[in-house]
Order: sequence, then structure tokens, then C-alpha cells
Amino acid sequence: MTEVGSLTLAVGLVLAAYGTVVALAGGWQQRRDLIASAEHAAFACWGLALIATAALLHALVTHDFNVEYVAAYTSSTLPLNYIIAALWGGQKGSLLFWLLILTSITAVVLLQNRERNRDLMPYVNAVLMAIAVFFFAMLVFITPPFERLAFTPPEGRDLNPLLQNYWMQLHPPSLYLGYVGCAVPFAFAIAALITGKLGDVWIRTTRRWTLFAWFFLSLGNLFGAEWAYLVLGWGGYWAWDPVENAAFLPWLTCTAFLHSVMIQEKKNMLKVWNMVLVILTFLLTIFGTFLTRSGVISSVHSFTQSGLGPFFIGFLALSAAVSLGLLGYRLRLLKSENELDSLISRESAFLFNNLVLVGIAFAVFWGTMFPIISEAVRGVKITVGPPFFNKVNAPLGIVLLFLTGVGPLIAWRRAGWQSFRKNLLPPLLAGLASGVSLAALGMRSLWALTSFSIGVFVLAGIVFEYYRGVRARQAVAGENAAVALLHLIGKNRRRYGGYIIHVGVVMMYFAITGTAVFRQEQQITLSQGQSFELGGYTLRYDGVEQESTPHIAYLRAKVALAQDGRDIDVLKPEKRFYKKPEQPTTEVAIRSTLSGDLYLVLGGFDEDTKLVTLLAYVNPLISFLWYGGLVMALGTAVVMWPAAVPVREPRTVRLRAPEPAVVD
Amino acid sequence: MIGAVLLVGAVTYLVYAGVRETSMYYFKIDEFLARKSELTNEGVRVAGRVRSGSVEKKTTTAGTELRFVLSDFGAVDGVPVHYTGVLPDMFAEGRDVIVEGKYTPEGMLRARSVLTSCPSKYEAEADQPHPGGAG
Repeated sequence: MTEVGSLTLAVGLVLAAYGTVVALAGGWQQRRDLIASAEHAAFACWGLALIATAALLHALVTHDFNVEYVAAYTSSTLPLNYIIAALWGGQKGSLLFWLLILTSITAVVLLQNRERNRDLMPYVNAVLMAIAVFFFAMLVFITPPFERLAFTPPEGRDLNPLLQNYWMQLHPPSLYLGYVGCAVPFAFAIAALITGKLGDVWIRTTRRWTLFAWFFLSLGNLFGAEWAYLVLGWGGYWAWDPVENAAFLPWLTCTAFLHSVMIQEKKNMLKVWNMVLVILTFLLTIFGTFLTRSGVISSVHSFTQSGLGPFFIGFLALSAAVSLGLLGYRLRLLKSENELDSLISRESAFLFNNLVLVGIAFAVFWGTMFPIISEAVRGVKITVGPPFFNKVNAPLGIVLLFLTGVGPLIAWRRAGWQSFRKNLLPPLLAGLASGVSLAALGMRSLWALTSFSIGVFVLAGIVFEYYRGVRARQAVAGENAAVALLHLIGKNRRRYGGYIIHVGVVMMYFAITGTAVFRQEQQITLSQGQSFELGGYTLRYDGVEQESTPHIAYLRAKVALAQDGRDIDVLKPEKRFYKKPEQPTTEVAIRSTLSGDLYLVLGGFDEDTKLVTLLAYVNPLISFLWYGGLVMALGTAVVMWPAAVPVREPRTVRLRAPEPAVVD
Repeated sequence: MIGAVLLVGAVTYLVYAGVRETSMYYFKIDEFLARKSELTNEGVRVAGRVRSGSVEKKTTTAGTELRFVLSDFGAVDGVPVHYTGVLPDMFAEGRDVIVEGKYTPEGMLRARSVLTSCPSKYEAEADQPHPGGAG
């Protein structure tokens, strides 16, 4: 099977290169036969990538330890679900997985669009195939996944225990779907630049794909946060590690793009800016893939240097040069037909939202790359840690949240006092009132007060919008409130689904604020029977218990949890010892409620003194992070849900549910 | 336009101030040893190896106290490290670690945190979480 795998990759490389060239030629000369041939090559590449992936999975599942990859990332005792997940657990497999997603997406895009967008498609295909050439080439020349060892080890070295976690099955695939999904709008953008068809066809065509990519990027980041929270045992979920930042960067620019395309669709403005955002997002996905593999930044994640660096840099530079070159070439055609009418308008609110998002991306990028920049400039490596990112991003994040509230409520073009009073004042007052109440209840942190009151402002604005929409439908169509609500969302999924996403965002802000400002922690060393208090809980250490399986040995501390003098729970934080890689890990115990988590870590157990060291954290509101994510997913589903009728709605909808402000 | 300029200015300022307030030297152990005399009382991050046989650990009700020598990769020269707190899971003699803390006038690194890096057989991944370290 592995020979088949190697062979398919080599054939795939040739076919992808062929497809790229022929698609370009076919597009250039308008030759249907060439275009069709390139499409066939793309489908064949998909099939080949599938076969190669199946071959690697086969080797993994059958414990073919003679294959270097199988020996490095699995063992005979590894559970099947992690054996499958080992496909993306290591360098080589994950690149193959990337390629599989890319070729699959390419095939789907071609099937969807080849009859519809005949002008653009040859170039879209060429771009996607060119990216595939890069990944095929890496898999053939640099990181061959089917490489065999000179001998067959009796046992594999096993998957890193930190990866033997539920989220290993969800986080990497989500992130990769997000990363690779960003290639679709990029390919369409490049095709638009090449053909000079720079209207908003490419944007409309890729809207769902962009949402798809954004959705999976969001989930990928969130799953990663959840995973970090459960596995790393420091009580937090985001450490601003370079690898986390690498996944966060394209999410920021993609979010900016999703907002600014609305301005292009409505106002025909910001065409260059949108191109820049699409290109930037794609480059950042490649950069992210590269950063985690190159050892360029010594993150605690990436310590091994691999030979991939120069190739990724080369590919990045080439992509940047080609796309920016094309952009420069078409710059004249991209001139906006409209200008910004007023600083106080929805357009400018969106523009600010974009600038803030890109500003955050810049700050995160700068902080991540700072060791390299400082070494190049001053000859000394200087790092900035999480405090840098928190300091810079907290104020920007607050501004962003505020704009989230303002954007949907403010009028297009020019907002006057009238519309301000009608649309913005009520939610602003609601936000202010909540801030004052929280202060009266004793909240003293200015950060928390600002964040919570702005959050309430955003929520109030959304409720207000829904309320008005429902009322308008009731008045016109005579529906009851529930039906009116469903129809309201159904008729304008994009707008009302977007609001649902915003609700999710606000929930996440609440969680971030709660954990950042009100988190409590304590580290304590105890002997059996001793107890301590934290955040209204009493925790009593009741000894340890041990257990062993062929795969893992466990050591658990039993901690009785009491609140208001009543026993409510027993938490058992663990130390695990994985037997194959001979590596210990920490398994936290969490008692989760809506108002917050009690997060307990077994820091250490001293065999001689029988003393146990515990770390306890109280993380207020953290569950809102995960629920906020769910709400975001729900909102995205509403936005993406295919319309039953062809989209021709906006005009009629506007009559029934008036725009919140002056109708343009 | 004015708003945009203001915003760009604000971001630049935040980044600048953030870097100034939170930056920290990052050295490989040999670089650190070569210039340690200038680094007294400075916050530093130093990457090195835990010298075999140098680890002393003592757990009392006050917590776990740890002393070890952070040596260069040839284990010739080194600097003593003193740390109180919870050890990362992967901490062991001979392991590569990053010590974050302050270099005291007594010639010792007082660590605020000790991070372990992955064993070199293991490749880093996007999906690989932050291994250990009470950060």
C-alpha cells in the first residue's frame, strides 16, 4: 500500500503541474478542450490524494511500524480513534491531510461553478492547482509520508500524550478546513484580477466559501482554546503562543473581509482593500502552516527545525509577489466609484471595524515576530510575552466590541441626530444603565465595567432590531410573534444570522472579561485531611488513588468539595504516565457551572512526605466562551443556509422590515 | 481619514508601549553566559539544558523548592537556578528547558517559570498545545 501511496503522490505532482499550466493556457486562449482537460486533472488529483491518504491510514491502522511515520506517531496500544487522528498528528501526515482537503475543495468548487463562471474558472482552477503543486512537491521531495525505516521496530513511539485528547479529533481538521477554505476566495480574487472582471461576481460567488472558511477557522481556534484549557493545566485557554497566534491571524483578516465585502456590494467601495484582505488572509494561512513547522520562532510548541522553512518562505514570497503584482497591474480598474459621504455612517463604522481588526492582526503579528525582528535589527533576541498581547489587544478589543454595536444600527451614508436618537440612543442607555448598576453592586474594575456595559449595549441593539423587525411584520402581515420572528430571519438570513453571531461574540467577550479580571488562583501544598478555601468553595484533600492499564498509569488526588458547609462534589485531578513515550501529563478536574468553573490541577505528589501540591483556579463566566461559540455556530448556520427561493429578496424585505435608519 | 490616522496612531502607540513595558531578553544559554555580567537584575528568558545530577527537590507545606543547574548543551558551563512552584510534567534531568526569571546579584537565576520544550523526536504541530509550564 505504501508504494501505491508514494506513486500516487508523484503522479499527483505531475498532474497538478500539468493542470496548472493547461488551465492557464485554456483560459488564455479560450480553448474549451484545454480547460476541460485541466479540470479532469484536478479531479484526478483529488482521487490520487484520497488514495494516498487511504494508504497512510492503512499503514497506521495495521501498525506497519516499518513506515517511519507510523512508528513515530502510534503504538500498538494506542486507541483506534487516536490512530486515525495520528494522520494529522505529525508533520508529514498533516501536510498530506492539508492536500486532501485542498484537492477535495478544488473538486467541489469546480463541480459547483464550471458551468456558471466560465470566464473565471480556468484561472480559479489554475490557482488552486498551483497550491496543490506546492503541497505535492513537499510530500514527494521534502517530507515523504511513506518513508520506510531500515529495520522494523517492535513497537511505535506513540502519539504525544498531549495529543491523546478528545479535541485532537476535532481541532486540527477544523483549523485545516478553515485554512484551506481561505484558498477559494483567494483563487477567485486572483482569477478576477487576471481576467479584469473585477465586479462583485467573484465576491458573491465566494461568499459562502468565505463563510465556510471563517466558520471553521472560528471553530478551530475555539476548539484549540478548549483543548488548551483542558490539557495544559495552567487555568487559562489562550497563551498567545506563536502557534495560537498563527491560527488567530487569518481569522482576524477573514473577519475583516466578511464585513468589508458588504460595503463593496452595497456601495461599490473598498475594492482594493477587499483584494488586499483576501490576499493577506490566504498568505496568513500559509504563514500559519509554515510557522508551526519551521522552528523559525522558538515557541514552546515548535522546537525541531525541519527543512521545510525555505520552501514555505519561497512559496509565500512567490504567492505574495504574483498576487500583489496582479493587484498593482489592475489598480486603475479597481478605483472606487463612490466616496465616503460622512464620518458618521455605517460605511465608516465598517471601515473602522476593519482597521481595528487589521490593527489587532498587525499587533499580534508584530509581537509574534518580535524576536526575529529584534535580532535582525539589534542583534539580540527580545521576546514579548502574553502581557504584551493583552495590553495591546484589550483596548482594541473594546473598541471593536463597541463598533459591533454601532455598525448594524447606524445609517448608511450619513447618520443624523434623528436617526441617532431613534436607533442608537436606546441601546446606549441600556448599556450605560447596566454599567451604573454593576458599579452600584460593587464592581470596581474599569475594564470589566466598560466591557460589560458595551456588551449590554450591543445585545440591546440586537434585541431592539429583532423587536422592530417582528413588530413591522406583525403590523403588515398580521402574523403572531413567533411566526413573524421565523419569517423575519428567513427572509433576511444574512442580516439576522449576523446578529446571532454578534450575540455569540458578546458572550465570548463576557467570558474573556470574567476570566481576565475576576480570576482567582491558589497554589497550596497539603497533607491528607487538610483543606483550603477559594472563591466560596472549601476543598479538602482526601488522599490519592492509583490505577494502571497497559497504556497509561494513573495517579489521582481525591479532593472533596464543599460549598456553604455542604459537600457537593469530589474532584479527582490526575497525573498520568503514558508508558510508550514514558511521559507524564496532567489531567485537570473541573467543576463547571454557568457562573464559572472551579479548575483543579494536581501539581505534584511527593512519595516521601505524602504531601500533595494543588493548584486551584476559579474562572468566572468561562462557560460563556463555549456557549458563545455555539451561538456563533448557530448564527453562521443561519447565514449560510441555502435560500429556498433564488435570492431576490432585499427590496421586498426592506418594505416590510425597514432598515433601521434612513432608507438610502 | 482623520479617524483612520488616529486609529493607526493608537495601534502604533499601543504596540510601542507594549513592547517597551513587557519585552524580555531571550538568550540561548551560551549567549547568556557570555554576557551575564551586564544582565544583573534584568528579566530574561534563557534556553538551556538541565544538567544531569544537579536537580535538588524539596517539598514542604510551603511548596516545592527546586534547584538545578541550567547548563549549556555540552554541559560544561552553567548557571544555578532556583524555583518554587509546580513543575511542568516534562521536567527532568537532561531535558531542554526555558527558564524565565531574573538574574540576581548573587549570580543565580530566580525563575518565575520553567517551561519544557518538546523532546526533539517530536515534531511541533499547529494542533499541539502548549506543553506544561506554570506560566
